[in-house]
Amino acid sequence: MPASTGAEVLRAAGVSCEGADTTLGAVLLLSADHIVEAVAALNEAGYDQFIDLFGTDTGQAVEVTYHLRALNKLEDVYLKCHVPYDGELRSVWAVYPAALYPEREVAELLGLSLSGHPNPKRLLTTDGTPPLLRKSVAIRTAEEVQYS
Amino acid sequence: MSDESVAPTPAPAIPAEGASPMEVLPRGLRRVPHGLDELATEHLILNMGPQHPSTHGVLHVLLELDGEEVQAAEASVGYLHRGIEKLAESRKYHQVGTLLDRADYLSGFHTETAFALTVEKLGEIEVPEKASWIRSLLMELNRIASHVVWIGTFGMDAGAMAPFLYMMRDREALLDILESISGGRMMFNYVRPGGVFDDLPAGVDDKIRTWLATFGTYLDEWDALLGGNEIFQIRLKNVGVISAETALAFGLTGASLRGSGVDFDVRRAAPYCAYPELDFEVPLGERGDCWNRYVIRVGEMRQAARMIRQLVDGMPEGEFKAKMPRVYKAPAGEAYASVESPRGELGVHLISDGGPTPYRMRLRAPSYYNLSIIDEALAGGLIADAVVIMASLDIVLGEIDR
Repeated sequence: MPASTGAEVLRAAGVSCEGADTTLGAVLLLSADHIVEAVAALNEAGYDQFIDLFGTDTGQAVEVTYHLRALNKLEDVYLKCHVPYDGELRSVWAVYPAALYPEREVAELLGLSLSGHPNPKRLLTTDGTPPLLRKSVAIRTAEEVQYS
Repeated sequence: MSDESVAPTPAPAIPAEGASPMEVLPRGLRRVPHGLDELATEHLILNMGPQHPSTHGVLHVLLELDGEEVQAAEASVGYLHRGIEKLAESRKYHQVGTLLDRADYLSGFHTETAFALTVEKLGEIEVPEKASWIRSLLMELNRIASHVVWIGTFGMDAGAMAPFLYMMRDREALLDILESISGGRMMFNYVRPGGVFDDLPAGVDDKIRTWLATFGTYLDEWDALLGGNEIFQIRLKNVGVISAETALAFGLTGASLRGSGVDFDVRRAAPYCAYPELDFEVPLGERGDCWNRYVIRVGEMRQAARMIRQLVDGMPEGEFKAKMPRVYKAPAGEAYASVESPRGELGVHLISDGGPTPYRMRLRAPSYYNLSIIDEALAGGLIADAVVIMASLDIVLGEIDR
């Protein structure tokens, strides 16, 4: 699917976005405030398969990527939104229950808070672990560097 | 010391709840007898794990029970979290394979290939035909090795101990082949961006053909031993029914999705490596119960054996890797590529900033999503079925925790 088609779907739902066709495929960039509405509109438009959700530390904010697929047409679309480091991620679990785990993971590994999630606990690490996927968290501890 | 002067003290009277108070109890009684018809029951939280022999890793499941019936289930994961995604950010592209083998340690070739395909997609690297064929061959061999472990442990979960021993015996022969090709039994580090590490060793094709000649018989033997057992069938049929709608809602892929009748296989949907040239079928289920998932995986092993025969016979001549710089730098950008692992769609999403290491590597692990259905799938069932249903999803914790 070209990004323009996806952008139209979102526009019809009242969500403004920036569409781009990249090496990845159709990417729609939108505000994190409208992510739930955007995801619901795409689900309505036949994107019935939730492939993945993950966060990336871009250096300025956390970029959250939603990867959806229309199973009958085998078309993929990627939604991206930026959440500030101290920001809140709105859960899309009511549209795609598959998002329940990865949202918890994004929140704990990138240090965001979750809203609208039925079980906003940590998923992989114990309490007190820093947000590991932030670029500010070193891959090696000082001791490891010293003895390596 | 004498203590004969001490008289035995009578046992204290125990007040009986709900019984009519009597000031003077009958002689010899401590309390008024009463029935127990108003027995209070409450839900019990049962901790299953973190150690369980066939969960393929370390999984802790909390089950809320009302007697024998499961009310709710929650998976507590993370025991195997090694930070593979974070560590990949400090590894050069040809070094990431060592980490990926340890994600899904039962099917390392699939994870390695998914990563290699993503790097090649991002860098527009042309892979020699032979490398693609070797990858497909190894992935199908690995699929059987992985399914063999699954079928054995699945039998154990249902209470059948003996088949596991047969399957481990036959898997050993397969691991010998994988070892003769890659040097490792499970941690291969053989598929690299641009191709594979080395050419196939001389004589391995005969070794595979010899193994194939007996494998069909073995598979029939296991299937008769386990799938032909009526008790096993009763334990599986109409147990853990997952509708196509529910399977899609939780992002299920692989045999767990196809068991519910959804015809989706990455080898068909987005063919990679040598799959466009191979002749194979994708087994499908209808009801979405544990029996369907069992039949599909057994069918997948037969199809894999069929593909291995084609791959060995049609193995092209030529180079096994593309010319790659010593330290490869992927161009800045993003790419996603996926393979059909024994557990489902295994994808790698790569973000590069043009440097010698990935900026961000995300592993889309099929088991991760397959596990997320357990609350929906286990609730309302019996506790004895909970084990079977979880086993039928075929999860490997290494790739869930990463």
